[in-house]
Amino acid sequence: MDGLDDVFGEIYDDVDALVLFSPSGSYYERVAPLEEDGLDVIVVGTENTVGADPFVELPLEFSAVAERVRFGLEGALEQGIIEGGDVLACATSVFDGGIDTVSRVRANAEDQLGLYDLFSKSRADADVIKAVFEVAINLGKKGQKGKPVGALFVVGDAGNVMNKSRPLSYNPFEKSHVHVGDPIVTVMLKEFSRLDGAFVISDSGKIVSAYRYLEPAAEGVDIPKGLGARHMAAGAITRDTNSIAVVLSESDGMVRAFKAGELILEVDPEAY
Amino acid sequence: MDAQAFLEEPAVIAAAVLALGVVVGYLVGRLNEELLTAAGVPDAVEGTPFERSAQSLGTSTVQIVARLSSWFVYGIAALTAIHIAQLIDTDRFWADVTLFLPQLFVAILVLVVGFIVADKAELMVGEYLRSVKLPEASLIPRVVKYSLLYVVILIALAQVGVNVLALLVLLIVYSAGIVIVGAFAFKDFLVSSAVGIYLLLNQPYGIGDRIRIGDRSGIVQEVDIFVTIVESEDEQYVIPNRQVFDAGIVKLRE
Repeated sequence: MDGLDDVFGEIYDDVDALVLFSPSGSYYERVAPLEEDGLDVIVVGTENTVGADPFVELPLEFSAVAERVRFGLEGALEQGIIEGGDVLACATSVFDGGIDTVSRVRANAEDQLGLYDLFSKSRADADVIKAVFEVAINLGKKGQKGKPVGALFVVGDAGNVMNKSRPLSYNPFEKSHVHVGDPIVTVMLKEFSRLDGAFVISDSGKIVSAYRYLEPAAEGVDIPKGLGARHMAAGAITRDTNSIAVVLSESDGMVRAFKAGELILEVDPEAY
Repeated sequence: MDAQAFLEEPAVIAAAVLALGVVVGYLVGRLNEELLTAAGVPDAVEGTPFERSAQSLGTSTVQIVARLSSWFVYGIAALTAIHIAQLIDTDRFWADVTLFLPQLFVAILVLVVGFIVADKAELMVGEYLRSVKLPEASLIPRVVKYSLLYVVILIALAQVGVNVLALLVLLIVYSAGIVIVGAFAFKDFLVSSAVGIYLLLNQPYGIGDRIRIGDRSGIVQEVDIFVTIVESEDEQYVIPNRQVFDAGIVKLRE
């Protein structure tokens, strides 16, 4: 098998660090001794099951490998674990099951999408944003009674969002204490997604209101042409307040996230 | 000597009782083991040091408890047999043993259960505190464990009739200390949470309202059980709910 090493060896030759994506406990233990030989091992995953340090948390189990790697590296850059220009061997899983692929990636400090920034540096808790994403993706997958639905969630800075919007009708969440992580919420939001307007969610995940008509100042919002009024409203409210917005498009079924008036992330619910 | 007389011989009856005791004891042990397994005890005790040391001895917690109940029945059978066979003929000894044996059994049971509960509590508290990255916090699970063990040993000793008055006094002083310190430390939290419950139920103000509390005014961003977060143009106030009640709420209109 030495022949194969000659062919593929250049993938992991002279790397600055090894990045493991969601390794199993035994896999991590096998790799850990390399750390003593001076190779940095960075673990990326939705949960730190192996108790690794350094660790970068993924907000979603990205199914697209490129996105997963990009987010992991962005997080590692942001946390100062790696530096721009570092060459990394990323070990991840493409097919079902354990780690089966290694790719050589150069970390690029300039070309940032702000993905990591969206989850970890927003006003709202990362867990809340994660939960909202899950709800939106779930909603996108199943729709309402088989028909595609659209929805707009504004997360964080709820006080200011409430002051820059008005109710379209009575607020079904008035005097309720429902949080996005609660198990019943997906069903509840699915029913309420028939209503027009936006959902407003506070920093800690409390659903403050449904049925809100957003009235932000829309000038200077630069979102791709062709997206509808819902996306425009989402972009504008995130520019006007410190919130972020998660939009489920009714027409193409994509889930998009906005921060500071810009489109940050676009995921296809069908892929999760 | 006919069969009737033979059956009435004390030694024969004693042997029969002994045999019956062995069978019943074995059955009770098996039944206990089945019941404990069905109740999910093996999962509950998994990972505790007690279970681990039991495992290393080639047994398990469930087996130990089941064996204990078997031995209890064996013991009773053996004593009854001894009594019937009149090997030891002192009423005084007999009275002592009948009283003492169940107590000893309960004491051992309390010890086994207590050790497991203490280990489990240590694990759970440790798990809960793992997110707190403070080295000193690792002391708390051990304090919980030994406090529980102390109570357990106290119960076991009291069960077998040892005088535990001094230890009991120590326990009372210890727990009174914890209660007093706790009440003193958490006084503000208690008051705040009482107010927080009122605020959450009645919602005199909600997220997005413009209010003034004391000399701090702004838009309400968050209301939870302990604090209200109010944000003005460039400042964010985290106000304990206690102060919300002390200062009163002013709702502002544009």
